[in-house]
Amino acid sequence: MFISLWEFFYGHFLRFWMKWLLRQMTGKCELQRIFDTYVGAQRTHRIENSLTYSKNKVLQKATHIVQSDVDKYVEDIMKEKNINSEKDSSFKICMRTCLLQITGYKQLYSDVESVRKRPYDSDNLQHEELLLKLWNLLMPTEKLKARISKQWADIGFQGDDPKTDFRGMGILGLINLVYFSENYTNEAHQILSRSNHPKLGYSYAIVGINLTEMAYSLLKSEALKFHLYNCVPGIPTIEHFHQFYCYLVYEFDKFWFEEEPESIMYFNLYREKFHEKIKGLLLNYNVALTLKI
Amino acid sequence: MGLLSILRKLKSAPDQEVRILLLGLDNAGKTTLLKQLASEDISHITPTQGFNIKSVQSQGFKLNVWDIGGQRKIRPYWRNYFENTDILIYVIDSADRKRFEETGQELAELLEEEKLSCVPVLIFANKQDLLTAAPASEIAEGLNLHTIRDRIWQIQSCSALTGEGVQPQISHLTRAIKSLMLCAE
Repeated sequence: MFISLWEFFYGHFLRFWMKWLLRQMTGKCELQRIFDTYVGAQRTHRIENSLTYSKNKVLQKATHIVQSDVDKYVEDIMKEKNINSEKDSSFKICMRTCLLQITGYKQLYSDVESVRKRPYDSDNLQHEELLLKLWNLLMPTEKLKARISKQWADIGFQGDDPKTDFRGMGILGLINLVYFSENYTNEAHQILSRSNHPKLGYSYAIVGINLTEMAYSLLKSEALKFHLYNCVPGIPTIEHFHQFYCYLVYEFDKFWFEEEPESIMYFNLYREKFHEKIKGLLLNYNVALTLKI
Repeated sequence: MGLLSILRKLKSAPDQEVRILLLGLDNAGKTTLLKQLASEDISHITPTQGFNIKSVQSQGFKLNVWDIGGQRKIRPYWRNYFENTDILIYVIDSADRKRFEETGQELAELLEEEKLSCVPVLIFANKQDLLTAAPASEIAEGLNLHTIRDRIWQIQSCSALTGEGVQPQISHLTRAIKSLMLCAE
């Protein structure tokens, strides 16, 4: 009650006068002060908040624009705030970077979502080729005897046709599996062979699909903001999303074997524990979760 | 545990909990059904490693629904969840005709299990939203359900995706249990 009253009071009244006072004292607007004081994700995050809560329509709108409008909006913001690019030469560059990061995050989510929504389709040659590519990357010395085969279980699919395992993650689940196997082939082989452990083993492919879901839901809930703001000084692409997935796969495998669960039946319990751990790491302003080998 | 013991248990338990076990082959739609029962989003479902559990309130009952992964590799673990089951729900992908035999075999084995003896079984002929889905009557015949004599059973066509046929059946079941309980009193 007290907190919400304070928030109301601060948001509607105090914030305005604080900003006015600081502006008189420093001769700089809030955006400029943020650029002077903060770096990395904290800077972008504060800029994003400042724009979102601004009473100025141009500033407010700036977080909802498309990438092609970024340059125009940087100019407009500078006009609105009377910022002289000769006096403050870095403002334009900093503002542009921040706006690219902020709008880029939204664009990334919508790109990832459109890939996720595409279901795996056996009649689509590209999908089928990608699936066979996954087999060849993971099992270079073993030939797949038939498209429908019990062998798929060897790389951790549930039955003899993987197509039904992609489900809610669609083609995104497969693309992530292939990306990891292609870019971190040695690690993928290592993890696959560990996942066949008689006691602590798990199903490599479907755990991978499950971790795609984790990466996706973290992106959707905006939990990946600090991570991406720190890692990408511009527009994040789907490649950065795949990279984050690779980090999750590698770290989950480590986590699983450290925890030594009783059996695969406890998967969801440990998945949640791992999820909480990752969410905790992502709250840090300095977070940058990259796979280092 | 049979019906009689359900009654005894329900009478003694003030919170009236019902343990429901969801089984079936992988990709039958168990998790979608579970989420549909709990009114949760069903658009991000992934294959179940291990199990999911949710508690749902229905007709004054607390339904504890256990959804166990259906992958062949983890079917041997199913038996760890049999104990104290009040209702078994067996889910079948009605469009996956190639695996009718496999699913029939698994069901037959479950019905032989001592720990599940007399436990009422509800068979969901799921995925009726698909054009290729076999009707429930055809599945019942294929699985020789009419030969089940040792327990209450029922087959119901449904679509966990659209929710059609799911909720009414569960409500019906809990109502049935409730009325039996009242009779016993």
